[in-house]
Amino acid sequence: MSVMGQPPFDAVVAAHHGEIHRYLQRTTARGSEAEDLAQETFLRAYRAYRTLTPDANVRAWLFTIATNLTRNHFRAEGRRRRAFAEVRVTRAAAVADGPEDAALASEARARVEAVVARLPLKQRLAFLLRRVHDLDYDTIARSLDCSSDSARAHVFQALRKIRLGLDGQEIPAPGVTR
Amino acid sequence: MSRTPRPCLEIEPALAATATGDGAAAEAARVEAHCAACAPCRATFARYRDLGRAVAAWWRAPSPPPDAARARLESRLADLRKRTLLYRIFPSPLGALLIARSEEGVSLVEYLAGGDLRHSRLLGAAGVEAMEDGAEVETLYRELLEYLGHKRTRLEWPLDLRLARSDFHRRVLAATAAIPYGAVMSYAGVACEIGQPAAVRAVAQALRWNPLPIVVPCHRVVGASGGLTGYAGDRIALKQRLLAVEGVPAVRGRDDYRIPRDAMYARTPGSAEYCLPSCACLGHVEHPHRIVRFASRACAEAAGLAPCTDCRPDLHPLAR
Repeated sequence: MSVMGQPPFDAVVAAHHGEIHRYLQRTTARGSEAEDLAQETFLRAYRAYRTLTPDANVRAWLFTIATNLTRNHFRAEGRRRRAFAEVRVTRAAAVADGPEDAALASEARARVEAVVARLPLKQRLAFLLRRVHDLDYDTIARSLDCSSDSARAHVFQALRKIRLGLDGQEIPAPGVTR
Repeated sequence: MSRTPRPCLEIEPALAATATGDGAAAEAARVEAHCAACAPCRATFARYRDLGRAVAAWWRAPSPPPDAARARLESRLADLRKRTLLYRIFPSPLGALLIARSEEGVSLVEYLAGGDLRHSRLLGAAGVEAMEDGAEVETLYRELLEYLGHKRTRLEWPLDLRLARSDFHRRVLAATAAIPYGAVMSYAGVACEIGQPAAVRAVAQALRWNPLPIVVPCHRVVGASGGLTGYAGDRIALKQRLLAVEGVPAVRGRDDYRIPRDAMYARTPGSAEYCLPSCACLGHVEHPHRIVRFASRACAEAAGLAPCTDCRPDLHPLAR
């Protein structure tokens, strides 16, 4: 059941599931949420895959779906948070205790993680999409329902908060972080 | 913060963008000029540059693939694939037709009033996800048109009977699928074929809900006395047209079409031969309902039958 002009969907999963899953781990900071959202992303993508034009950028499209799902998820989460004020604390703690804490070798990295986890959602998403996953600003703007300029502003605000959050802390050069 | 000079505050977005490789050329020149004269901003520039590099190095590096998560996703996708029916609505000489298929085979052919999906059985079907995809059913559609245009006598499609309502329903459909091109059998005959000779009305009901009309040729099943009796509800005229495609004549009566059985060749149950309707052997058949009648010698022979050696339909063909 292949679609003309597009690789079979299995190939899409093979190529992008790892990265989308990693992205969602950073957007949600909870392993189980990330897995659920990643599943939902690919189930939705499967349903809509055959309507894609042959020249569509599948990777950017998947990030857009994942980002939309994350935003919907947090919209619902926001409602829950008003009911349970301590959720934020739980989430911040979850970052430090997450499955990756072994990899959080440097203190600088831990601080950056903490700052990113506390960023307003749009800033966090824009920052991850741009600085970690290297998506272009048009895609980010589409995913976040904003202008390209706002997307740039979100990324800058995120960078600025991270810089201020590190406040004098040494930033290790790449390659010597572990 | 209030002590930071205004020009430095204003240039910071451009500075951060340039330092992390995101800046436009004009911005970069502005940033360079500012930094040349401003030591604190030179330091800030370096911070942003190091920060950008460090984040990329930490987080772009692929972490081990989430194998278990991947396996769970694959299993949900496989499940979704199994439930998926790909469909499209096509125009045809018989009106709008919806054709749907699954991974296993064609699962629905539906006369769709006005071509309106809202009338389709797909929408109410339990455990089914319908997705429009013309490419996947295009071949089926083309073969169906060839069939209706006399260019093909078989639709050898793998069938998926998931929309049948019960095992009984599936058995009725299987028995019906075995009736050859250009032949007819009675509802009572189909009931006999599935070993439930009393279930004539249930057979008629089952065929009324045939999810695969034309492909599973329920139009070849007629009343015991040759009347067409019914088709997909009240679409008798369609039944007559489908039979006409196969060369089966139907004479218009007062309130129904009627198959002239005495102008058709007959095959007795289990026989490898076909007979004239006047052949003596037809008098001794235990279940006369199970007699299959053919419109032409060509159709009988295409079904693998030989002319009866007693009545010799080959020497005395029926007048057409």
